Amino acid sequence: MHESLSIRVTTYALLAIFVFLVAVPLFWMVATALKSNKDLYEDFSYLPTRPTLQHFVRVITREDLLTNIRNSFVVATTTTAVTVVVSAFAAFSIVRYRYWGREWVGRLILFKYLLPTAMLFIPLYTIVVAMGLGNTLKSLMLTYLSFTVPFCTWMLMGYFRSIPPELEEHAMVDGCSKIGALFRILFPLSAPGIVASAIFSFTLAWNEFLLALVFTSDHTTMTIPIKLSMMVVGDQYIWGQLMAGAVLASVPIAILYFLAQRFVVQGLAAGAVKG
Amino acid sequence: MRTRESLGGMALLAPTLLLLLGLVLYPFCYAIWLAFSDKTVGSPGQYVGLRNFIYVLSWPQFSAAVTNTIVFTVSAVAIKFVLGMAVALVLNQRIRARNFFRAFLLLPWVMPAFVVYLVWRWLYDPLAGLINYALLDIGVIASPIAFLSDRSTAMGSVVVAHAWRNFPFYAISFLAGMQTISQELYDSAQVDGASRIRQFRHITLPGLYHIIGVVLLLTTIQTANAFEPIYLLTGGGPSDATMVYTMLVYVMGIMNLRLGEAAAVSTLFLPLLVGLVLVVTMLLQKKANA
Repeated sequence: MHESLSIRVTTYALLAIFVFLVAVPLFWMVATALKSNKDLYEDFSYLPTRPTLQHFVRVITREDLLTNIRNSFVVATTTTAVTVVVSAFAAFSIVRYRYWGREWVGRLILFKYLLPTAMLFIPLYTIVVAMGLGNTLKSLMLTYLSFTVPFCTWMLMGYFRSIPPELEEHAMVDGCSKIGALFRILFPLSAPGIVASAIFSFTLAWNEFLLALVFTSDHTTMTIPIKLSMMVVGDQYIWGQLMAGAVLASVPIAILYFLAQRFVVQGLAAGAVKG
Repeated sequence: MRTRESLGGMALLAPTLLLLLGLVLYPFCYAIWLAFSDKTVGSPGQYVGLRNFIYVLSWPQFSAAVTNTIVFTVSAVAIKFVLGMAVALVLNQRIRARNFFRAFLLLPWVMPAFVVYLVWRWLYDPLAGLINYALLDIGVIASPIAFLSDRSTAMGSVVVAHAWRNFPFYAISFLAGMQTISQELYDSAQVDGASRIRQFRHITLPGLYHIIGVVLLLTTIQTANAFEPIYLLTGGGPSDATMVYTMLVYVMGIMNLRLGEAAAVSTLFLPLLVGLVLVVTMLLQKKANA
């Protein structure tokens, strides 16, 4: 009994420390965004004593941050839409068809995992420029597929394998075509996996930094991460606006995870356990 | 009929295959070619043999990048591993509101990475940052520390920010693994009077070997290739104290427009990355066999 009490105390003490460590930076981001510049740089206080939305207003009116958020949103949704369709078909093909060279695609996907973006971004940049896509959102939509498609194909291959092919075979005996069985049986049954892969794809595209940094160069084509990173070097008293921007950049992802936390944790756990 | 079916399968695969060939395999080969050429932006470039490699290897910035990349990767992975394991063990206990705490402790990893590093840059600020203010407030330090612009603290500060953002992935993977270990094993260990520490060493850890392997393999590669924490926190400075190889490739290729040398740096790091992966895999196999 004695041991069990000390374990409970240790558990809750550690939990309190972890919660504190996670909470402080998050709290500080929100608190900074809500503080006046006076509170930030003159009379220091831990809490916003005179909470104000002025930084949010400024970052939207002066920095035109909504344009950059829209850019991120357009790139992430387009990439995700293409990715889900392309990778669902590819995963279906690899898992349910037999033909020569199938296993090579799996190897190529693994190769992509091992291959650092640091090695690819310069060649991709020259490709993008050669295609006349320099400094456009299209360059991002295209090149983001290089990591979203392998990731989602791999994830969906695992998901499709977990669904017995007999269900589709029965449907085909009843006169359904192979593609018909895909749309009527496999896709509906794998809906949670498809949702999870779409969320991962959106998040990967929303958060992508290096390619966007290299490919886009003016304020109207920058995605939100690049715009915020450019603001750091500008004004010295920019932190209120920067943290307001950081809050705005986190909101879409937070909403997505809040709505679909179950799928994501499931998908993640399945991926990690199955390897 | 069989050929028609396999043709259908290939047609479904074709877009993905094209993307992989065009956006992964071709750029990879192109990067290797660049490393052997004197290409700059706007000029076609000539084959120059090993000139870029010889130049890069003689460069002090390159050896700094090798050391820094190894230091960053090893220390960040170690911290994330220990922290992730501790969090998973705590969340695996019977605690109140477990689902809430699990979701809450996952937040750093859900947040966009660029947001996290901007927040940490602000936390570390020497003039008005929270960490300096709080340390001065409770009297731990007498004058502010320039965490990110002092050679002795820059690397540690970047590692901490990176570990804060990424430990939840370890935690949630280990937790998923722990939940597949049968409770009966612990019950019978309890009956035999095994301490919690012995239970952890002889039941939990062996039960997690597979997941630990997958997680370490994936994250070692990711950590060694990290770019954002360095770019957003220090830009590789002060005087190359945090110059990891990804940052060096960026500085050479994009800021100095020396594409050949930049490609040579990334090509030289490929064997190092493969080596890191092999070391991790071998260590794990030894553990699993022991």
